[in-house]
Amino acid sequence: MEEQQHSAFGFDGSWKGYAPIAFTNLLLMIVTLGIYRFWATTRTRRYLWSHSRFIDDRLEWTGTGKELFLGFLMVILILGLPFFILQFGARALVMRGHAGIAGLLGFASFLVIFYFVGIARFRALRYRLGRTYWHGIRGGSDDAGWSYGWSYMWKTIVGMMAIYLLVPRAMMSLWNERWNAMSFGPHAFESKGDYRPAFKRYLMFYLLPLIILGCGIVFAMFVGVGSIMMGGGAPGGSPIGALLGVLFGVGIYGLFLFIGLSFYAIFIREAVGGLSLATLTFAFDASTKDWVKLFLGDIALVIGTLGIGAIFLQYRHWKFFITHLEAYGDIDLDRLTQSDTKLSKHGEGLLDALDVGAF
Amino acid sequence: MPLTERIEAHPWHYDGRNANRWTPLLVGDVETFTLKGEGWDAGPYCWADLIALDAPAGEHVFGLKDEQGWRLGFPGALPEDLAALLPKPARYGGFIDRIGLGRASAVLAMAAAAVVFVGVKAPGWIAPLVPQSWEDTMGDAMAGDFGGRICHTKEGTPALRALVRQLDPHGTARSIEVANIGMVNAVALPGRRIVLFRGLVEQAESPDEVAGVLGHELGHVRHRDTLTAMMRQLGLSVVLGGMDGSTGSQVNAVLGLSFSRDAEHQADLAAIDAMRASGISPVPTAAFFARMGGEEAPAKAKGKAKSTTQPGRSIEALDWFASHPSSTSRQQLFANAAEKGRRYRPALAADQWQALQKICSADKAVKPGFDFGF
Repeated sequence: MEEQQHSAFGFDGSWKGYAPIAFTNLLLMIVTLGIYRFWATTRTRRYLWSHSRFIDDRLEWTGTGKELFLGFLMVILILGLPFFILQFGARALVMRGHAGIAGLLGFASFLVIFYFVGIARFRALRYRLGRTYWHGIRGGSDDAGWSYGWSYMWKTIVGMMAIYLLVPRAMMSLWNERWNAMSFGPHAFESKGDYRPAFKRYLMFYLLPLIILGCGIVFAMFVGVGSIMMGGGAPGGSPIGALLGVLFGVGIYGLFLFIGLSFYAIFIREAVGGLSLATLTFAFDASTKDWVKLFLGDIALVIGTLGIGAIFLQYRHWKFFITHLEAYGDIDLDRLTQSDTKLSKHGEGLLDALDVGAF
Repeated sequence: MPLTERIEAHPWHYDGRNANRWTPLLVGDVETFTLKGEGWDAGPYCWADLIALDAPAGEHVFGLKDEQGWRLGFPGALPEDLAALLPKPARYGGFIDRIGLGRASAVLAMAAAAVVFVGVKAPGWIAPLVPQSWEDTMGDAMAGDFGGRICHTKEGTPALRALVRQLDPHGTARSIEVANIGMVNAVALPGRRIVLFRGLVEQAESPDEVAGVLGHELGHVRHRDTLTAMMRQLGLSVVLGGMDGSTGSQVNAVLGLSFSRDAEHQADLAAIDAMRASGISPVPTAAFFARMGGEEAPAKAKGKAKSTTQPGRSIEALDWFASHPSSTSRQQLFANAAEKGRRYRPALAADQWQALQKICSADKAVKPGFDFGF
């Protein structure tokens, strides 16, 4: 197949086209006490996938609400019930004065949850690839993610040591490990993301507090002098000073957010850029500015609609993801044969139950 | 049945084995069809095995049962004879498509309301049916002997018994004890057990105040409120498990709150009844609530009370009854319960009261107190 002039990926959905789905999903979730959300997720994905084009054809989502629901039920039964009982047991232990044992139990369950969060992330990706079709071909993985769970645990813990300096390295290493276990059709993904290009921006997290401290001292002096000038240091301080204080606080928060987004922009660019599938390579071209716009747009949408707009966030994020995604290379359609990976019968219940985001 | 009715169409096709897009000729009758490509034939397939899938506007796409990736797409409008044989795509899923969104929403909303109503009310119906012995066993399993933190002294223990005899002459509670815990509180545990905390006994200014609190906890025991609350907590967490974690737990907390406020009120009424029957004045209890609600209370409450804002609710691990009615309304309830002209006597004689207040500080064998909350 010849290489396309335009982007290999395209999105032709519209918020007006999605709105009927979003609003009916919300209605049905309310009247079912939230149980409909599994079917809602499926409807949303079917819309988003079917309006996403790769080269000459759209993607197709074949997951079902039922499998998501069953997955969720399974996790509640296998993980939720023992934890509920454990919680009561821990209370009893504390009341009997064995606070130490209760604490140990609590720590052990924390570790178990930690391990399963890793597995959940892995399996969510596997599930999503397994339910995504293009030209009648799907992806998947034969790895169940058990060993990834261990990697997730120790890499995260090591990343946090040495004042969190190893976090980017751990993040990228986990990204690579996840994707290297995935495949599409007969081809395995190859992931060689490098954390180093994003590391300089990550270091800004350490520099910023020093800058803020400096600004804070200057600011305090300014307010101090100001309030003396305005009438001898009233106990409440001047309203202008208070306003400046609030702006200062918001500014600090905004700066940290900005650093986070600028780091993430490069991180994702490198992560996706290191990904290849047979003769295809991928790229992600969202700049820090794009991420900031996405984020501010999200906030404006949610606040401006008093929260209702939140039902469009998934749409916005998917559109952002697809429009900035790029692929290069040729695909041999004859050799892109059906995936023979095992398809799990249940959805991403683990992820759902543990409430962590994938991707 | 017109078996010979011939149907022809020009769909596109993925066979699910490789990614090639084929454009075969579809030839069929009302039952089955075959696909004829250049140098290949596939089928026959049954129309009934097709599954309607999402398609962009102006297109119709179908999958085949048990064949992953097999797709058949018809660009443009479908001819009538063909449309009649093809299934319709699902929209909301399941029965909602059959009866319509509006009607389904109404039915589901009613069902949801019924589920929540039953979820809130059912524990109150079921709790009285649970055999008392089961509850007793569970309560003992949970609390045991409080890790050796129950206070006993030669003078204090009989004083406590004397107080209990007046308020609980028929022995509703299986055990009423003072635990070496600094918080100003008392709890009714499952299994008809009441534990007063050292902080309460020491901070109370008269035995009548302790009597008021004890009467209240006895009300909980009589109404089996602890079991009800535990069952409600379990039930709601299951019913609302379908929601997002945060929404569910918020709703859970609100529902739990409104329910236990009623239970608290009933327990207060029971306390007033018990005090009236034994001739103990409810006025000191009102004063106790006034102190607890006032701002001086946290400063006075010494020991390990963690909460500095609401001394009445400082036990995190025993939060089943964390939501009492406001101190002011309770204060009024007890103050108004005093009968004019009735001569009340103190719940305990002065020496007994002194012994009760020292029941923990004078007990050399009791283990030191500990903090709840983890």
